[in-house]
Amino acid sequence: MQHETLVHAEDMGSPDGVLLPVPPVRLGRDAPYANYALGAAFDEMFSSDGDVRDHCAALHGRLATLPPEELIRRQQACEQSFLQQGITFTVYSDKQATERIIPTDLLPRLVTAAEWERVDRGLKQRIRALNMFLRDIYTDGRVLKDGVVPRPMIYGSKHYRREMRGLPVPHGAYVNVCGTDLVRREDGAFVVLEDNLRVPSGVSYMLANREVVRRAFPGVFRAAGVRAIDHYPQELLATLKSLAPFQEDVSIAVLTPGVFNSAYFEHAFLARQMGVELVEGRDLLINDNVVFARTTSGLKRIDVIYRRVDDDFIDPLIFREDSSLGVPGIFNAYRAGNVVIANALGTGVADDKAVYAYVPHLIRYYLSEEPILDNVETYLCREPKQLGYVLANLDKLVVKAVGESGGYGMLVGPHASVAEREAFALKLKADPENYIAQPTIQLSTAPTFVDGGVEARHVDLRPFILHGEKTTIVPGGLTRVALRRGSLVVNSSQGGGSKDTWVLSA
Amino acid sequence: MLSRVADSLYWMARYLERAEHTSRLIAVKLESMIEQSTEDARASWARVAVALATDGVAADDDDIFAITQRLAFDRANPSSLLSSLRMARDNARQVREQLSTEVWEHLNRLYLRLQPVTIESTWVHQPARVFRESLEELQTLEGVTFSTLRHGEGWHFLELGRYIERAQLVSRLLDIHFGVDAPGYAEPPPPPKYLDWLVLLKFCTAFEPYCKEYTAAIRPERIAEFLLFDPEFPHSVKFAVDRVRDALARVAPGAPPSRRAACERLAGRLKAAVDFGQIDELIGGSIDAFLVEITHQCEQIHEAVYTAYIAYGAETVL
Repeated sequence: MQHETLVHAEDMGSPDGVLLPVPPVRLGRDAPYANYALGAAFDEMFSSDGDVRDHCAALHGRLATLPPEELIRRQQACEQSFLQQGITFTVYSDKQATERIIPTDLLPRLVTAAEWERVDRGLKQRIRALNMFLRDIYTDGRVLKDGVVPRPMIYGSKHYRREMRGLPVPHGAYVNVCGTDLVRREDGAFVVLEDNLRVPSGVSYMLANREVVRRAFPGVFRAAGVRAIDHYPQELLATLKSLAPFQEDVSIAVLTPGVFNSAYFEHAFLARQMGVELVEGRDLLINDNVVFARTTSGLKRIDVIYRRVDDDFIDPLIFREDSSLGVPGIFNAYRAGNVVIANALGTGVADDKAVYAYVPHLIRYYLSEEPILDNVETYLCREPKQLGYVLANLDKLVVKAVGESGGYGMLVGPHASVAEREAFALKLKADPENYIAQPTIQLSTAPTFVDGGVEARHVDLRPFILHGEKTTIVPGGLTRVALRRGSLVVNSSQGGGSKDTWVLSA
Repeated sequence: MLSRVADSLYWMARYLERAEHTSRLIAVKLESMIEQSTEDARASWARVAVALATDGVAADDDDIFAITQRLAFDRANPSSLLSSLRMARDNARQVREQLSTEVWEHLNRLYLRLQPVTIESTWVHQPARVFRESLEELQTLEGVTFSTLRHGEGWHFLELGRYIERAQLVSRLLDIHFGVDAPGYAEPPPPPKYLDWLVLLKFCTAFEPYCKEYTAAIRPERIAEFLLFDPEFPHSVKFAVDRVRDALARVAPGAPPSRRAACERLAGRLKAAVDFGQIDELIGGSIDAFLVEITHQCEQIHEAVYTAYIAYGAETVL
């Protein structure tokens, strides 16, 4: 069952070129894979009959030659490093504020060059279509007139910003930073689960994970030919700069809600790595529709703002008036063309659950191309035929209310009783426009370090797409992992962790 | 530099200086008390308690365990060692992107290490050790800051905070030892004895430098002169005042002279007071008033800096 019998040993401090024999390891029987169970889901390291996939052979062998204590030591070194760097979020419980790290798994998740090539093309296609869609619905509304997307779905969305109508944005790029969540189907193909078009976060974890995991497996890393991701901040800077109307002395700032935001580390990290100012709302003021930062030497003009503050909070004069995170008057400065805000306001209208279902249609409509990356199959209950299918298969589907999030207004068919399903069917028939349905998705599993051994855990993948004058995706992303056995929930708030993602160059 | 950033750097440095001062006072006191009688030790601890109390008034306990607990580990006491460290780190976190990785991680590590420490865990064996270690870490941090941070505007705001704090802390220590009306005590302690003067020097890491300058002959007026007026010793008031003035000359390089004027005038006046002070006029006379005046002028400089660079209204510059 072993593909290779020798692995590089230099990450144990041996000189270069020393090769170690790999002992025979049986999946589900021998350490460290004694508790590794393959299920219905696609597994990143093993094929369904338990053979090691070729591109994972080196990592697989390395894990088999490292004593468990050594793996534990390396895992602890990772955690220690995160704690010292202050890559933490704060949990508030009675009086005590505790800082926790988001668990980082020691074992990298590998993506082959061929797989990545398709993901890269597919994501670029998708962001082009989504940006054209946003421009359309904030200008002519051609897509609505042509009946491709139902008008009430857009104009009725709480994320549609009337204030943005007719407002030109540089290069027609509304979404400049996008984090798209991908999952693997059981056949191994990557499909899109969700687009995050507002203020996606997690990119700092992508970069920080690389730092610590590269240190934990230097030999495997070097031998594998992993593509670099460290230039993300430079690419982000170039993207932001390309949005300015001029290219000399562009003054760029990252706008953060402040130190209490759970992604604050990331905001500070990106500002530092790009060498631009990190500002809070209270640092900025507007005079004569121009944005200034208050500095010790006087006021300094700001031309481009990479904002990590939601639409609702960015300008209390236009949006939520109780917001203290924003800058009063900034929207007028934006409207006057004196400052660029990235992402543009109002992008949230294009990432809700109902619009998601239309993205394949949008790709065909705007680009006359077939989608390279599929959506997860989605049934729109507003369409009578699909409603019929959903009603007939309620026991197999997950039904979600379009406007809700966080699991509200949702029916998980396979886990619901007959009575619950019948009650839900009535709601569906009464208000079909408000619902979509999807099959339950088995996320792929990847080897994960658990209790001194290696076990299979479900993962997803969030690459980050940069879109300004051109579109750039650094080869990698944030792999999130559900650390509880069998769990499909990868969110950090619910016991999720993250992994380094290695996109291989060949 | 953003005004908010300058503000955080300034306070980060002040809190670090305070944490270092607190660590040193407690370490020196714990180490030196074994050579003192119970009564002398009590008087000496009372001075430490006043020197480190938030409002300059010692709480009415004279138990060393309780005093150390309050000054070092009490999170509810805003000027305890742990509180100072937490505030320094909170400020550093807010300007994380302005600091070098080395500075941030050193401070963060120290904070994480001291957070779980309790007085019970330190008291059994060598209670001074944790304070010595904290002191060494803080001094190392100063060196790391010196050698890894650009000596630009941010650095000068750190210097400003550090030395304004130091001038005030040393002035207060001197006031407690030389002052006639001995403020802040429930019951005034007896005047300092020989060992107390040694301890005062050690509170300011000044014992060896003092001996080099004046030999080991311990004389209070020379100690006062050294800690007030020595131009080359980093923990003298004069040294701190000179650094404050230097830092003020270099912050906010783009601000027009009209906005700089108030700060520079105040710093110049303070420097003149220290440059032309005469120890023989002060001893046995106006030293209390002199020290109070130095503290007062430091506060005025602080306010002028805020008015000019940190919390100015937009209408004043448009």
